[in-house]
Amino acid sequence: MKKLLAFLLAAVMLLGLVSCGSASKSNFTGSSLAVCLASEPDTIDPALNSAVDGATLLCHFFSGLAKWSQNAKGDLEIVPDCAVSLPEGVVNADGTVTYTYTLKDGLKWSDGQPLTAGDFAFAWNRAASASTGADYGYMFEVVDGYNEEADNTLNVKATDDKTLVVTLANTVAYWNELLAFPTYFPVRADVVANESWATEAATYVCNGPYTISAWDHNSLITATKNENYHDAASITMPEIKFYLSDDANNMLTNFKNGDWQLIDDVPTNEIASLKSQYKNEFVVAGQIGTYYVCWNVNEDILPASCTLTGAEAEAARAEIREAVGLLYDRNYICEAIAQGGQVPASSFVAMGMTNPDGTQFYKTAGGNKDFDGYYDVSTKAVESNYAKAVEVLKKYYTFDEATQKFTDFPSLTYLYNTSEGHKAIGEYLQSAMAAVGINVQLENQEWATFLNTRKDGNFSIARNGWVADYNDPICFLDMWTTSSGNNDVQYGKGAHKDLAMYNLDLTSLGYSINVKGGTWAETYDVLISTIKSCTDNTVRYQLMHIAEDMLMSTGCIVPLYFYTDLYMIDSNVKGFYSNPLGYKYFMYTHK
Amino acid sequence: MNTKTLIYIFKRILLAILTVWVVITVTFFVMRAVPGGPFMGEKAISEAAQAALEAKYGLDKPLMEQYTTYLKDVVFHLDFGPSLKQRGREVMDIIIDGMRTSAKLGLIAAAIALVTGIVLGAVAALRRNRLIDKIIMVITTAFVSMPSFIMGSLLLILFAIKLMVLPANGSTAAGLVLPIITLSLSPMAYITRLTRSSMLDVLGQEYIRAARAKGVSPIRIIFGHALKNSLIPVITYFGPMLAYIVTGSLVVEQIFAVPGIGRAFVNSITGRDYPMIMGTTIVLAVLIVVMNLVSDILYKVVDPRINLE
Repeated sequence: MKKLLAFLLAAVMLLGLVSCGSASKSNFTGSSLAVCLASEPDTIDPALNSAVDGATLLCHFFSGLAKWSQNAKGDLEIVPDCAVSLPEGVVNADGTVTYTYTLKDGLKWSDGQPLTAGDFAFAWNRAASASTGADYGYMFEVVDGYNEEADNTLNVKATDDKTLVVTLANTVAYWNELLAFPTYFPVRADVVANESWATEAATYVCNGPYTISAWDHNSLITATKNENYHDAASITMPEIKFYLSDDANNMLTNFKNGDWQLIDDVPTNEIASLKSQYKNEFVVAGQIGTYYVCWNVNEDILPASCTLTGAEAEAARAEIREAVGLLYDRNYICEAIAQGGQVPASSFVAMGMTNPDGTQFYKTAGGNKDFDGYYDVSTKAVESNYAKAVEVLKKYYTFDEATQKFTDFPSLTYLYNTSEGHKAIGEYLQSAMAAVGINVQLENQEWATFLNTRKDGNFSIARNGWVADYNDPICFLDMWTTSSGNNDVQYGKGAHKDLAMYNLDLTSLGYSINVKGGTWAETYDVLISTIKSCTDNTVRYQLMHIAEDMLMSTGCIVPLYFYTDLYMIDSNVKGFYSNPLGYKYFMYTHK
Repeated sequence: MNTKTLIYIFKRILLAILTVWVVITVTFFVMRAVPGGPFMGEKAISEAAQAALEAKYGLDKPLMEQYTTYLKDVVFHLDFGPSLKQRGREVMDIIIDGMRTSAKLGLIAAAIALVTGIVLGAVAALRRNRLIDKIIMVITTAFVSMPSFIMGSLLLILFAIKLMVLPANGSTAAGLVLPIITLSLSPMAYITRLTRSSMLDVLGQEYIRAARAKGVSPIRIIFGHALKNSLIPVITYFGPMLAYIVTGSLVVEQIFAVPGIGRAFVNSITGRDYPMIMGTTIVLAVLIVVMNLVSDILYKVVDPRINLE
């Protein structure tokens, strides 16, 4: 019996040992590509999708007026797709801007029917309509006539089958990029009249490089080259198999045994070994997004003995929040915890966003010469940041020199959504604050509950993250207006609503706006609407820097790192590219 | 079957219906009491869009009205409504899709577990304390105590990565081999042990000794007398087990990326897909209740001494 047990044990251990080795194999033939991005998408209706994996699928099935393309040098650019060209807009007397697009000849839907300019007009109005209830309906707010409360109001017309005329409320710097965005893809009225059209291969009529030839729900979407696509000749990959799974370990297994050529997720605890074992396959790409911690602006963190009230109290709180933010070592978070090549962040608008001159927006944020952003997050600054934070906090709290800790900082709760990664970061923040005597409880909630709690402002500090929808800083800034649904910090709400303490002076930029001691609504909200109606791009970017300055001065937003997109790709696959929003393009791949 | 038995079965069916109704009611109200909603995401939608969606799916009506409407739809039309997350798909279609895979997987795994389990159990009992018995016992102890995620991972490493004989994802027929084995091993081991101990018990009974004394052939003793009577505990275990493995083992589905019902169930809860939560709960509840009922009735068939009252 004992011998038998020993034998079994030895067998199991041997199996374990064998499993430690690495194997790299490829079953890629060049005629079919197998990839796995995520599990079954909630929807692949262009209007309804708001997920990155869904957007990648849509870019293969649909073709908008413009598309992301890789040029000979390997740089990404927006080029015309269904449109013959992407002309400049004509500025009208009232400040609105009209664009006229001509569609290419012979455009067809996958079922052979002709595609018309009217299909675009229909699709845009449908996506923007309140009754459609699309997550990305607001992507049309730049179009004249947009009204989030009503249906079919956009100023977009098909003057004939090949001409689309659209009027924007004002000049929009990122308009061409929007034209390549999935929400702007065309759909046909008679197709989408069937509410289930986007759930089965048979009813999925599209106009892009591929059609769905088979869809085994929760398992596999098979995309086959669409011969009706106007540029079908340039498509080099005849078939793409999109496997639907969200288990990172399973993805890795299928990648290792060569069945899948690209996986869009890897198990966090494997990152370190994958980086060294799969040097050519493991990719860390930039992604325009920021992982940050947000404070509830209405959370009272002053000691009980503090006599400050109103605006003075809020100014003190802002200083305290900013100081607490200096206690964190962002390099440690990126290298020891997140481990995916993330970049320590010291500003909210993410890395990857560019100024009109092509420089990085985050490098010019904060106006500091010695470092990027609003504070120095390099390793060498960790100690001085700490000392500075303690100095600031000493102004408000009792500091016990013996223990080097503050004794009267109120207890806080850090709220995060259940996940090992978020928990590890929460624990680090907790220990960093405990080092100066700030007691923090960790509380995790399941995703949907967490969203609800955070939105309602029932937290003191919470985990947060934001990924860009398009390459323009405004998508990081307009979410903080008083009425925005994403205003988790609760700016301009509750007690903060009446605090008249913010200044906004835009006279040097040629505006007559000069508010002293205004509320959030009178300053920040005004600033955002000014940005949205600004037609001078240089001024517009200056305004956006001012908005971020204002945001960061509240100390409520504490950036930790800029996101990266981790994936693994078979080194035999050539011609693949992805864009800064994380969309992946497989149509031009080959062996 | 006598009248008493029929009355018993009728009562049990009524009780089963009551159980399912309680499950529906409790799930419905608890689900709605949990914070969060189906239309919430990282990026908030406008209030007008939120209202439009709530009106579209009837979520703006009073809760009690929603409840009665739902009950009516389920009972009279067998309509679970549309999914709120997978827009455009009916809950019934999603469940049927998932069940097709889960049931195939579960039934094959259950059949393998049952047949192998009974055979191994009988062999072990008949060869008590011999080497073969010990081998069977060691292996089954290991299988019973090894969680399916470890078993699944080991099989995956061995067959999908090292030997590369089977695929790691359950989207193809060959891909279902590993999940079926993973699913069947633990119940198979349990059934082996149940059969063995119960068979040992039966083999010691006086009627077996009497049969032996009468000179009945060993084969007839085993198959005609001992085996049948030693299967009663197996039947008790088998009914509920079948319901569980047929409705999908989440862990196994996750490891092998099998598109079954287990994953759909969990995703529906995290996404607050109300109709989907209700639909899967009802299907699971009905299956478990029915399987329990069937195993109780089977008892009676196997052992007439059992009084169903």
